[in-house]
Amino acid sequence: MLSERERERYKRQMMLFGDEGQELLKKAHIFIAGAGGLGSPVSLYLAVAGIGTITIVDMDDVDQTNLNRQILHYDRDIGKKKTVSAEEKLTAINPDIRVNAIEARIDETSAARLIGNADGIVDAMDNYPTRYLLNDIAIRKKIPLFHGAIRGFYGQATTIIPGTTPCLKCIFPKAPPKEVFPVVGATPGVIGTVQATEVLKYFLKSGDLLTNRLFIWDGLAGRAEEIRTERSPCCPACGTVIPEKGGKKK
Amino acid sequence: MTVRVRFFARFRELLGTDIPAELETGSTLLSLVRSIAEKKEEGYTAIFDEHGNFHEFVIVMRNGKRVEHEDAAAVRISDGDEIAVFPPVAGG
Repeated sequence: MLSERERERYKRQMMLFGDEGQELLKKAHIFIAGAGGLGSPVSLYLAVAGIGTITIVDMDDVDQTNLNRQILHYDRDIGKKKTVSAEEKLTAINPDIRVNAIEARIDETSAARLIGNADGIVDAMDNYPTRYLLNDIAIRKKIPLFHGAIRGFYGQATTIIPGTTPCLKCIFPKAPPKEVFPVVGATPGVIGTVQATEVLKYFLKSGDLLTNRLFIWDGLAGRAEEIRTERSPCCPACGTVIPEKGGKKK
Repeated sequence: MTVRVRFFARFRELLGTDIPAELETGSTLLSLVRSIAEKKEEGYTAIFDEHGNFHEFVIVMRNGKRVEHEDAAAVRISDGDEIAVFPPVAGG
């Protein structure tokens, strides 16, 4: 049940989806992998929207070079754990939600346990090896993966529904080389809010998700484009779950 | 014949995009992309390795369908084709 305070807080969005929608958001548990450039806008907008439980995981400390884009963290937070800073901000912006901020490395031994019984995973990582791990666990747990990535003025996003849409490895089978990527904060602002919108639509069961298509934002050109994506039948990550004719599994 | 080549992300920064190309009949996908990328060395090395093959992470699509790298040298381009070449964007 929503409290009076929650009804007031969410009044303007409940005009869109009513008590029923707000209750769906309140029941939802989202896992956000990373409290950096993408994790900042994703977590802030999901917090103010009233997603009932937000688990956010990061292993780093706040560094001065983060502050051009990682808007969860302030100058006064330099040297603090990102998770401490994130929990403080998210709880302050909405005390009516549960925030689990966990300082941990997301790796093969920890990922499934950290994600636990979350209803969806937001990819706010900065590297493909960890993204592939999140992809594997989304497939195994049959929960959506909301992918986003950025570089410079350029970003991309897609929503992966295991068993239905291409997975991350179908779309990007090989990781690009590692680099220290250039970025202006507004770019993860655009892509992170696209991801947050996808999460809300998924839980509200409304609108058209960014499934089977890669949303591409070119900030320099001021243009958004789309690339159609397809499942790869021989995908090493999800190929074995493609239903054969007649609905049988391989 | 005329085709359109679209680069994305870093490749776009280096080579531009929506490049119309006039081709001779029988040109392959690989030779088309090479011929455009060759105009800027940094763009070429971002897409191709020292043997002139696509870097393994590069995504190549023809009319919305992915083309496997090993097929790119055999795929003949047709008039009106739209080719997309892009890297996975990695930052967060």
